[in-house]
Amino acid sequence: MLFEDVELGDELPAEHPDISMERVVEFTKAAHMNFPRFTDHEFARKEGLPGALVPGIMSQALLATMIHRWAPGCRILSLDTVFRGHVVVGTTPTISGAVTDVDDDERVVEVDLTLTAEDGRTGVMGTAKVAFSA
Amino acid sequence: MSDTEGTEPASTEVQEAKAKYVGFVFDTATFTAEQDKMLAWAESVGETDPRFTDPSNPDFQAHPTFTASLVSRRVLPEDFPKIGGPRGIDGGKAVVIQQPIRPGDRLKASATIADIYEKTGRSGTMTFIVQRMSFVNQNDEPVSMVDWKMIRNP
Repeated sequence: MLFEDVELGDELPAEHPDISMERVVEFTKAAHMNFPRFTDHEFARKEGLPGALVPGIMSQALLATMIHRWAPGCRILSLDTVFRGHVVVGTTPTISGAVTDVDDDERVVEVDLTLTAEDGRTGVMGTAKVAFSA
Repeated sequence: MSDTEGTEPASTEVQEAKAKYVGFVFDTATFTAEQDKMLAWAESVGETDPRFTDPSNPDFQAHPTFTASLVSRRVLPEDFPKIGGPRGIDGGKAVVIQQPIRPGDRLKASATIADIYEKTGRSGTMTFIVQRMSFVNQNDEPVSMVDWKMIRNP
């Protein structure tokens, strides 16, 4: 995706990121978040949760990955996320996004993103500012 | 960077806490950006951009929100009041990326309270406490800022 091709309202191609237990375990090790509520379904259910949960900051990083795929070589300037609901490990969420602002002078685009859990509930919402090189 | 849209006039205890705590550094921490952690982070979230997955790439760097996992020893100032109720919720994180983080970078972080505000919804008044971690590298160049929105409700 080139900056010249971006238009207000453009939708990013939806993605279904891999949030298997294997991936979540790998993430929690990298993020120093070795807590069983993220990696042990049984433990999480005993805590009243629907199952082991994908860490909020992993969902945030999944949004960043989607942006990189949409606009290779771009630079994310900021990513503000709101953690709204549970995303259970091993399910199939959907990330969608749309362009909500285009700054032609700065070559910066604002993108709104939503990670929706398999049950249809909103898991994470985010807004990113993305810079395109000249 | 905090989202105070839709907020309301703050209660006395929130006003007092804002006056006392906002903007003051209450903890510091240091971290080293480890290449294996940077790689594992990027690979675990399906990243395919070689800037984040290939250490031989001349622009190899940490994934944009890498600092979101780096926290100080104290989450809140030592004598911070128990405002807003006993239940705590992780409301989300906002990351500003100022410069790439490279393998081996020594990061120094300062923790402050960036904002305290209230919002009232169907379940009552919620208090938002925004903890900010500001990161600089070994050259004292700002590299990242992370705002963590902690929500307390009755």
